[in-house]
Amino acid sequence: MVVVAQLVERWLVVPDVAGSSPVIHPMFVASSPVLSSTDLERDTTTESRIAPDVPWQTIVWNDPVNLMSYVAHVFRSYFGYSKPEAERLMLQVHHDGRSVVATGPREEMERHTEAMHEYGLWATVDRVS
Amino acid sequence: MRIEPEITGVLIELTPMERRLLSTLLTQYDELVHDQLDDSDLAADPALARLFPNAYPDDDEAAAEFRRYTRDGLADRKAANSGLISAALMASSDDERITVARDDAEHWLPALTDLRLVLAERLGIHRDDDPIPENELGDVYDWLAQLQGALVEALD
Repeated sequence: MVVVAQLVERWLVVPDVAGSSPVIHPMFVASSPVLSSTDLERDTTTESRIAPDVPWQTIVWNDPVNLMSYVAHVFRSYFGYSKPEAERLMLQVHHDGRSVVATGPREEMERHTEAMHEYGLWATVDRVS
Repeated sequence: MRIEPEITGVLIELTPMERRLLSTLLTQYDELVHDQLDDSDLAADPALARLFPNAYPDDDEAAAEFRRYTRDGLADRKAANSGLISAALMASSDDERITVARDDAEHWLPALTDLRLVLAERLGIHRDDDPIPENELGDVYDWLAQLQGALVEALD
């Protein structure tokens, strides 16, 4: 039961950042895959040696907001995974910080990523390394 | 709040105050996720950046292209999801239980998630071990989690 004194308060509005430079969310930067070890290993020379038909992947990243039950529910209802597989992937996101939830052609992986964004999950596209 | 699974969907019982709370949040959400978002909007508000995540964190060009092709459609669908909840609230009186068809309830879930994502940003919840502040807004965040959790359970 929530006790709310002032319903009119504007909770969701953008904080006043007028005049300041664009704010980059600190956590977003800190936990973004840019700095992960796998990405450090990948440089442009290896990139150019990868054949164009190498598959791509959709990766879902951990966040402190989404309920574990909801994440598993999304994996089941969108990808059609069985309950145990959806739970396994969800726990992998939770414990390892990320999970590859799909692999295949780039366009398809982008479609999945867009769908994950609609579900409010933090997803990215990457080449299979 | 009481959520009960039904054969064709879910029955949702909210107090008048809970209804007003949800409705207020959705109105603010609609203002935030409007249909003319551009890169500067996302750069200025980390909550918006979280609602439209960077799909290619290590490839600026691909990231920009992905944003260009997906953002408007995504914003439309996010607005449609939140609109479904608003419409259900408006179509029922304060003392009425809300009957939500299964397919519609599936669209409530992402809208509730987005509300929680924005609130988490405003509350400074960035990591798994960040505490939920013990204030009114923290209570709202908790309440949304209960609502969403109960809905997921009813739909599973």
